[in-house]
Amino acid sequence: MNSENYLQGDSSEDRATSELLAMLSKRLKTTVRPEQDLFADGMINSMFALELVVQIENIFNVAVEGRDLDMANFRSVNAMANLVRRLAEK
Amino acid sequence: MTFSKELAEQCSFVDVLIGDQASEWDAQAKIPSDILRHLGARGLLCPQVPASVGGPGFDSLHAGEFTAHLGSRCSSIRSVMTSHGMAAWCIQKLADHDQRELYLPELTSGKLAAVGFTESGAGSDLSEMTTRISRHGKGATVDGHKVWVTGASYADFVIVFGRIENGAAAVVVPISSPGVRVEAITDALGCRAAGHANIYFDNVQVPADNILGHEAQSLPLIITTALSYGRISVAWGCVGILRACLAQATSHARTRRQFGKPLEQHQLIKRYLAELFVLEQSAAQLCEHASRSWDAGTPDTAIKAVLAKQVSARNAAQGSAMAVQVLASAGARGSDLVARAYRDSKLMEIIEGSTEICQLLLADHAMSLY
Repeated sequence: MNSENYLQGDSSEDRATSELLAMLSKRLKTTVRPEQDLFADGMINSMFALELVVQIENIFNVAVEGRDLDMANFRSVNAMANLVRRLAEK
Repeated sequence: MTFSKELAEQCSFVDVLIGDQASEWDAQAKIPSDILRHLGARGLLCPQVPASVGGPGFDSLHAGEFTAHLGSRCSSIRSVMTSHGMAAWCIQKLADHDQRELYLPELTSGKLAAVGFTESGAGSDLSEMTTRISRHGKGATVDGHKVWVTGASYADFVIVFGRIENGAAAVVVPISSPGVRVEAITDALGCRAAGHANIYFDNVQVPADNILGHEAQSLPLIITTALSYGRISVAWGCVGILRACLAQATSHARTRRQFGKPLEQHQLIKRYLAELFVLEQSAAQLCEHASRSWDAGTPDTAIKAVLAKQVSARNAAQGSAMAVQVLASAGARGSDLVARAYRDSKLMEIIEGSTEICQLLLADHAMSLY
């Protein structure tokens, strides 16, 4: 998708979340809720988190680096959406 | 794959440099340091470092084919290369601009580096790491120990992972720093000349600027990233082991005669040769797959690296055992090529994620896919 349009939209908050939900649901072939703790449910380990890093970089045209490479940023769709919004503001 | 001219040239350089000395190095558990510095000065111990900082700038696929070639000649040197390459990769990933400009040209001009992850109480479970890095003004103190650091006996500096403040960090420690003690392991099962050592850090003082990226980082993702590089490197090295075994086994089968005909006409030997070929080809295909994925930056590169490492190490262990059977008494002395391959490949099933750890990662991946 076009990242610039995506970032300028009024409802970008919902759109970040819905993009991530769509990506994860497709990848995991199951419905994921925004607040769901993906660690607790055994869905994410460090290998999968790295996969998500690249997915997020590609979808949202951001760079996830340094301190942001933290498992906590991938704990839930809400956490990932927060990361995306923060990086988009950079 | 079509070898680029440069790759072919570098492979010939390696053949001349190593010659027939690998068995002797294995027996002595030591590689002459000028050999390693020669390779390092050409940037060949970290071939993926970009040309802008003095590296050869190979992509993963070409670096992989070179790694396999080096591994077919001497797994100990290939092991040093894996460690040095991981050090360079950690700097590429974690360092800031100034640190990259400072360290990477050193790593491509003959200085040797190693990476310390494992501790006596933190092997597969690196969350148990106890080495501490503490900052005070412009300085930092490193306390702790690392075990089985590949290449450490030859290294000028080691990249040490440890705990810092509320996270983890990697710090560049010159081996010559007061308080650093290197205890060489000279009786390793395999890759005996790879300079494995345990390193002890007792109140070691370094500039705080040696902390890569200058800040605390989160350990799991950083280590997984560094290990992905190491896994692809080890996997290609195992392809090299299999190619060396194939060359040796086919040559022996052609010339050695028993019961009035060459070994290659005996069906049970043919089966070994066929199996060896299948093991080499299947490992090489997965390595190529992982490297292409690395070069394209696809999301599942890390798991493809695990898959390549898992299959290549297992295939090398099985294939080298077959090569020993084919060579029989002609390859059964301590540092003979296939005897080395047999010992070296077993070690490859242990490092950079043991076969069992790789199985856990692959099982979780399978669970996420289906």
